[in-house]
Amino acid sequence: MTTAPTEPILEIKSVSKHFGGLAANSDVSFTMDEGMILGLIGPNGAGKTTLFNCITGYYPPTKGEILFKGGRLNGMTPDQVCKLGMVRTWQKVRPLAKLTVLDNVVVGALVRTGSVKEAREIAREQLHVVKMAHKADFLAGGLPIGERKKLEVARVLATKPDLLLLDEVMGGLNPAESEDIIQLILDIKKRGLTQMVIEHDMKAIMRISDRIVVLNSGEKLAEGAPQEVVSNPEVVTAYLGEAHV
Amino acid sequence: MPPTPRNRGLAVLPIVLGIAGVVALAILPKFVESPYALQMMVLFFLAVIQGEAWNLIGGYGGQYSVGHAAYFGIGAYTVIVLLQSRGIAPWWGLFPALMLAVLVAAIVGSITFRLRGPYFVLASIAVAEIFRLAALNWKQLTNGAEGILLSGIPPLVIAGVQITDFSSKVPFYYMGLALAVVTVLVTIWFQGSKLGYYLQAIREDQDAANSLGIPLTFYKNVALMISAFFTAFAGALYGLYVGFIDPQTAVGLDISVQIVLTAIIGGIGTILGPVIGAALLVALSEALRSNALTDLLVGIGIVNPASTIGQFLRDNLSHAHMLIYGVLVALTILYMPDGVLGGIKNQIRKRRARAAAGGAA
Repeated sequence: MTTAPTEPILEIKSVSKHFGGLAANSDVSFTMDEGMILGLIGPNGAGKTTLFNCITGYYPPTKGEILFKGGRLNGMTPDQVCKLGMVRTWQKVRPLAKLTVLDNVVVGALVRTGSVKEAREIAREQLHVVKMAHKADFLAGGLPIGERKKLEVARVLATKPDLLLLDEVMGGLNPAESEDIIQLILDIKKRGLTQMVIEHDMKAIMRISDRIVVLNSGEKLAEGAPQEVVSNPEVVTAYLGEAHV
Repeated sequence: MPPTPRNRGLAVLPIVLGIAGVVALAILPKFVESPYALQMMVLFFLAVIQGEAWNLIGGYGGQYSVGHAAYFGIGAYTVIVLLQSRGIAPWWGLFPALMLAVLVAAIVGSITFRLRGPYFVLASIAVAEIFRLAALNWKQLTNGAEGILLSGIPPLVIAGVQITDFSSKVPFYYMGLALAVVTVLVTIWFQGSKLGYYLQAIREDQDAANSLGIPLTFYKNVALMISAFFTAFAGALYGLYVGFIDPQTAVGLDISVQIVLTAIIGGIGTILGPVIGAALLVALSEALRSNALTDLLVGIGIVNPASTIGQFLRDNLSHAHMLIYGVLVALTILYMPDGVLGGIKNQIRKRRARAAAGGAA
């Protein structure tokens, strides 16, 4: 590799997003290095999902700049962002209900190939990764929540991304299912993918994150290694206070 | 757990049955000479073509266009006007007709596909109405509300041999059959193609589809253009077959509604749904036209033919096809939301699941 190892894969530069008078994000900046897991935390309404939407092209940011692999993303549509190698999952899962589990993943794989046959092979591999190969022929609409979440992950993995944005993939899961997802995220990291993870479960986020960014009322409150962030008094009062009493 | 097995590879049985069906239909005119029966079959083929064509964008893509009369009318009017006023043979007139329909689809699609759900439906109706009003008012070209009566189709001669002079229904029967088979084959290809996968993803969830790298408007447009191509082809065949077109019968709202119904009643997003829907709707509209429904009600003694109600039904029921269609759609949506074919499939799936559960217990 000739590129400098220090070049970040994602740069968020003073991004603001206003809805009328409401500032959902104001002046948020941080960077991500290749291969890392960045945890994005904050209380409800802190602007985490809005930031995801800005990064992946669903909303144009009101101000600021987003650079992915050195290129500017502002003004790109979600499908273009996906083709560049960045893809997100949804907090409220969005299975393609009347398609089978396999076909859901095939749709993801088709972004890299015109051949349905090849896409099916990619899809089968990804179903193995999330341990859902035995459910390949089930209709996605009939899956329980834990498997829907895994299906979302398999589907985005099939798009062969460099950067994954996971929006509360553990939300609504029981401890065993969450543990599955944690292992999955760590496996994905081993394969060299970069991940940004929104999560409410503090124990989980502490375990998996290399770095944590805390949002509060749309602003970046703190950033650092997991231990630094939890011991930051501002963060404790704004967000962790009650949970740590 | 109920497995929902789906056969992915092309099974042998459907292929054999399909070929047998087509062969049977191909030799049917050798045995059946009744013009009435052939007439019914031509109408059935035309309905299959339109239903399958709509199914691509409406059934697989979930974009409920209620404006396909626009493409039907473009096909019919272009071929008939070129033939009647310029003397251009229909097999040449077809090229500009189909190209025009595809071009219009591309323009209409790039504007209306930004809209979602009911707004898209309304826009599609509005576009078709624009074309109907154009046909009504652009009198130099279309002869307005009086319509165009075709004075004849020149005989088709290839290399000095006369293939047909279009004097019987048989050539239309074969053209209809051939195009119906082609649309079914296109649908089979479509369902297994990247295009088909993408349209189904768009139907299920546009935002999710978009996040997975699918440019929504582009793929909807491609599907609409293919759909418009075959719908216009059906329109051209219809105009030539009937020999008369006017704004109401070629671009009217009824046409759009019938096309949607054919697919919905049979089962949207399936290969054979529109075929079943076409058979049911052609039979129903014929029953209404010939007042068979009133005869039936009288026959089983529900209605006294001499009474006021009996007279009223006899006078009006044959014109009430839109009303009956409306009732039919309501019933389909209430009791068989996936259409006749989908309803049957669901029953089979449930039975299998019950059998599997019984076996496991």
